[in-house]
Amino acid sequence: MTRRVLVMFAVLALIALGLTFYALHLKRKVARDEQLAAEQQRALAPLTNGPPTPVTLYIASDSDGTLRRTQVKVTLPPERTERDRAVLRALFGQYLQSSSLHPIGADADVRDVYLLGDDTAVVDTNAAFADAHPSGVLAEELTVASIVVTLNANDSKIERVKILINGQERETLAGHADLRRFYEASNIGQVVKDLQ
Amino acid sequence: MPLSGRRSRLAMAITAGLALLFAALLTRQAPVQAQSPGQNQLTVYSPRTSYSVPLLDVNGQPYAGLVELLEPLGSVDARVDGKKYKLHFTPPDGYPLEVQFTGGKDKGKVRGNGYKLPANFVLQNGRGYVPLSVTSDLISKLLATVTELHLASRRLFIGNVQLRYTLELHKDNPSRLLLGFLSPVNPSIATEPGRVRLTFRREPIVSSGPENVPYSDPLISGVSFSEHDGLAELDVTGTAPLMANFADGGKTIIVTGAPAPAPVAQEAPPPPPAPANPQNPSPQPRQPAAPRFLVLIDPAHGGSDIGAAITSSLPEKDVVLALARRLQHDLANRGIAAGLLRNSDVAITLDQRATWTNAARPALYIALHAANTGQGVHVFTAMLPAANVSPQGFLPWDIAQAAFLDLSGSVAGSVAAELESRKLPNATLLAPLRPMNNIAAPAIAVEIAPPAGDVDEIASPAYQEQVAQSIAAGVAAVRAKLPEVRP
Repeated sequence: MTRRVLVMFAVLALIALGLTFYALHLKRKVARDEQLAAEQQRALAPLTNGPPTPVTLYIASDSDGTLRRTQVKVTLPPERTERDRAVLRALFGQYLQSSSLHPIGADADVRDVYLLGDDTAVVDTNAAFADAHPSGVLAEELTVASIVVTLNANDSKIERVKILINGQERETLAGHADLRRFYEASNIGQVVKDLQ
Repeated sequence: MPLSGRRSRLAMAITAGLALLFAALLTRQAPVQAQSPGQNQLTVYSPRTSYSVPLLDVNGQPYAGLVELLEPLGSVDARVDGKKYKLHFTPPDGYPLEVQFTGGKDKGKVRGNGYKLPANFVLQNGRGYVPLSVTSDLISKLLATVTELHLASRRLFIGNVQLRYTLELHKDNPSRLLLGFLSPVNPSIATEPGRVRLTFRREPIVSSGPENVPYSDPLISGVSFSEHDGLAELDVTGTAPLMANFADGGKTIIVTGAPAPAPVAQEAPPPPPAPANPQNPSPQPRQPAAPRFLVLIDPAHGGSDIGAAITSSLPEKDVVLALARRLQHDLANRGIAAGLLRNSDVAITLDQRATWTNAARPALYIALHAANTGQGVHVFTAMLPAANVSPQGFLPWDIAQAAFLDLSGSVAGSVAAELESRKLPNATLLAPLRPMNNIAAPAIAVEIAPPAGDVDEIASPAYQEQVAQSIAAGVAAVRAKLPEVRP
């Protein structure tokens, strides 16, 4: 009787201790994974050599609902999709500044740009871009328009743009702007004229 | 045997202790939980603003965050040093006042004097929380003003902000109940057969006498006041369908009998699964009917989809619903029948909005939105690639609106002209906005932003009325261009 109880005690104690250590291990692993994901998200564009090149950005302003053309210098990679991504990251960089007139989510980033044929770009953004984007018809339209027209201004072959969130299609950006469609640069061009 | 009995009891006690330790380790990360929906916020009314503070449940007791509670009332600087929490609160035109507490302790200091909480101070993720019951006294000490906490209904009044109402029953035919307020109010209104419920979220409405007032009237049976979950409600009951209208710039709400066979109700869209408009009857078997002119108003968002957070306590879905009701009223004043796609806080998908609208065959579809960025009013028509689509032929779902873009543009221009004539900042634009692309009728979307930077003004009855009148006048001006449609 005593022996059986002692064995049972030992087994239960071992199980409890084992589970405790396993739970602590899982907790540390989740924290490590989250930190790693956050660091990956903040990773900079691949380093490239060469002189900074002027790129054209269309910058939105919420206060007066306009898009303004401006130029900044960015070191561009030689590969086309990487170059397009660097241009869009320069655009996002403007919006992420504390003085931005069109702020977007703090961790917003462009994960990748893919080309379908020669004239269609698929821009894959991270979840923070959509999740923390200010909600509103005009605010969202300004963001979409600035992405499309900036890409077209720096890579004139791109005539159609599709925006993905974390590799997936989403119905709207933040409740308003349609993200299920391909945006035609010529169509957006008319909007940009209205917004300038 | 006695020794072995003691050993076995000891073994079982140690095993149970280890199991408890294990369970405690697993649950250690979640001692504080958000309360159930509807119970999770405190509404604070101050002379400057009204706002909501999310509440946390700590061992069954509601707690409020100190920063969230004090930030709208002045500037706040909070710091955490280990378990010590120090907060400097500076009221407008005042000097910094210090609040100190220690996590897990019930004693602290407010303005240099000892202060005892009814339960321990909670520190979580660098934020400090105090029991809800102490918020009134704490603010009173910091602002040196009177405060009143309605603990059960989660409402806190700072200063003498309480807004009382008067009741006047006019026994006309039909009877009219006039609810009078000292300043304009903008409640959400829900109607059910024989009942109108006015829900006040932002106004510090309090009871001005008995909470239940019965009437011996053939139409109006009585009024009752209640408050709960951070809001107040006035419930008017009657013996027949009732309706509520605003008057005197929002200072008076008139409750009276609803017209019996309302044309709008007959012409409303097919019923959604949610109770969109309780006044709308169930669909009747369709009979050939004469062409008619129906405007369908779509207050965007609803339910769990709040849209933009105009302020922490004012979601877009509430702003646009109030505007939609005003627009419906103003269109009716111009002899234009209008229906609402939703007349309560229900969620409707974008595809459902388009499907119901197209099934109702309106002469015009108006989507209403609100935002806290920019200023003035933006009138949108659909941004669509050029397409050769005829309204008479088959309409592809994704570009159904393409066949109506010219008429949509005419309406947008007319509304913009009316906004301009009222000196409201405005612009007309194309927008990639769903479900406008899918609407097989002339369609515009209107997004209102604060008139001049003051975000709270977006919900003011005066501003909303100006916008609603502009849209109604703009629609009336182009009515002749828009085709009447056979239902």
